[in-house]
Amino acid sequence: MIAINHLEFSYSPSASPVLRGIELDIADRALFGLLGPNGAGKTTLLSILAGLIDCPAGRVFVDGLDLVTPRARQQARLSLVPQEYAFYLPLTVRENLQFFAGVQGVPGSEVDQRVSEAVSLTSLEERLDHRAGKLSGGLKRRLNLAIGLLNRPRLLLLDEPTVGIDPHSRHFILETIRRLGEQGTTVIYTSHYMEEVEELCDRVAIMDHGRILRQGTLAELLAGQSGSLESLFLDLTARGLRD
Amino acid sequence: MTGMGALIRKELLLLLRDPHGLLLLFVMPAIFVLIMTFALQNQYSMSRDVTIDFLLVNEDDGGLSRAFARQLGNMSPLNRQERDLGWQDMQALARQGEVKFLVRIRPGFQDRLGQRQPAVEVVLAPGLSPVFVSVVEARLTELLNRFYLRLRLATLPGVQSSFEARASDLMETRSLYDDSGALPSSVQQNVPAWLLFAMFFIAVPLSTTLISERQQGTLLRLRSMGVGAGRVLFGKVIPFFLVNLLQVVLMFLIGLYLIPLLGGDRLTLGAHPAGLVLVSVAASLAAVSYALLVAQITRTIEQATIVSAVFNIIMAALGGVMVPRFLMPDLMQQVGGYSPMAWGLEGYFDILLRNGTVVDVLPEVGALLAFAALMLALAVWRYRRVGPEQG
Repeated sequence: MIAINHLEFSYSPSASPVLRGIELDIADRALFGLLGPNGAGKTTLLSILAGLIDCPAGRVFVDGLDLVTPRARQQARLSLVPQEYAFYLPLTVRENLQFFAGVQGVPGSEVDQRVSEAVSLTSLEERLDHRAGKLSGGLKRRLNLAIGLLNRPRLLLLDEPTVGIDPHSRHFILETIRRLGEQGTTVIYTSHYMEEVEELCDRVAIMDHGRILRQGTLAELLAGQSGSLESLFLDLTARGLRD
Repeated sequence: MTGMGALIRKELLLLLRDPHGLLLLFVMPAIFVLIMTFALQNQYSMSRDVTIDFLLVNEDDGGLSRAFARQLGNMSPLNRQERDLGWQDMQALARQGEVKFLVRIRPGFQDRLGQRQPAVEVVLAPGLSPVFVSVVEARLTELLNRFYLRLRLATLPGVQSSFEARASDLMETRSLYDDSGALPSSVQQNVPAWLLFAMFFIAVPLSTTLISERQQGTLLRLRSMGVGAGRVLFGKVIPFFLVNLLQVVLMFLIGLYLIPLLGGDRLTLGAHPAGLVLVSVAASLAAVSYALLVAQITRTIEQATIVSAVFNIIMAALGGVMVPRFLMPDLMQQVGGYSPMAWGLEGYFDILLRNGTVVDVLPEVGALLAFAALMLALAVWRYRRVGPEQG
């Protein structure tokens, strides 16, 4: 169970707050969708959960563990899959996976097993000895995800994991995430693609300007609405062109 | 420290996959050492195998001028070439650089000498080094004075007027380098100089790797995995320190084996190689820390490459890598004294040129370590202040 209590954040004292009193409860094994236009605060929220940004106000608990220290985050087995291809292009898929397993303290005797699990979940077995820089966009996304699975995460934070890839690769990644959910991983998933969130997530929060505007199951969000999730999203986020 | 082996292995793999980096770190300095060692060989070997070729025409038919011509031909390092040519042809050869200077003994040599009038005309080849000019002038002045004294003393009754002995026979010369009398050579200057230049050039691959990691989001990912600033930076210090040591071994092997094989002088390591190890370690720590700071104060790979290269070249020029500091004017020598490359070079020279001991290199080692500590502290401070996502 993840409890986010009154999270507030701004990048400097003079700047507008990026997060304003965020309150979220996310159940174990949930596939939780976080929707919002650019600048809504999704990536900042994920960054705070992943420990990339220290948050002076508010608390995040995972199964009662206060995620204020790196040790607590490690105990919570939290993993962030960033939007960028955050790996080494000159290294092979295997070398990348071995490296990221190694820096997370996976014992040497266990590294091959973890690599094998990660490539199996992402179907990268045949690409193990290919240079990461030579992979297609879809395969790079899969490698990005595979790295995030090396610590066998209980909580997986996915920041727009399907940006810029073809429909087949997107479908594969969504299926992989669904399988992870079935195996017990809690997933927080940010995306601009409404249909992905509708297809994948059991609970959704829509945020803008640093606030959670609406949260609940899809059915709860769409109750009393004539339109789709997309039209609700556009209504809530004021239908304007964004940066 | 958790994962340090993985960080080191990753860094070495990235370097191995970077042909430009390898060229910069290993091939470029090796080529510089070879070129500069042979190019400057004569400048450092005046007392040994160097000869300064000249042509002489004697327009006087007296016995004294013939003796003068003979003795001039025997004065090392002057080397008279025997050619049956006229004065104009000799000048043409000098212009082409085939000989370094020409001597014309004028008619009436003895009378002119006795009256302290120019008895000899010397014509220098264009572009002759000032060092060579000084040697030529010193030798000719010495010989002319000897012959003048011989003439004057011959007029005094009962005085022995033989001056066949050379002035240099009246003194002994020895070097403080070692008891064998060996003198430092071009290879002793150039191997450590270009080695230091190469060591500081790790700033290019190290900073560009770190900036790529920042731009790719890899540093953020590492931070989300609990890998902090200390581990990230330390994970770069160790592999690049190893790369520096590999450069040291390679450059010294070139000096010890390749240069002699190609006909140059062999590098001699002095009596205290432990001092070389100490200087190498300190210079490497200084170079790696400097590289880390460059990576922290630049935002793009282009900026990092330019900043690294420009500062390296300035440090090298001031520090005596390109032009030995003893050839510089006092002010430049003082300014150059602030370059870390000068400290490293002086440390190496203490052992390689001055046959010093470990104690002799401690001031330079101390300066390099202080520089390394300052650069590292600034790099860590900057990394922590701005975070892994910004430069």
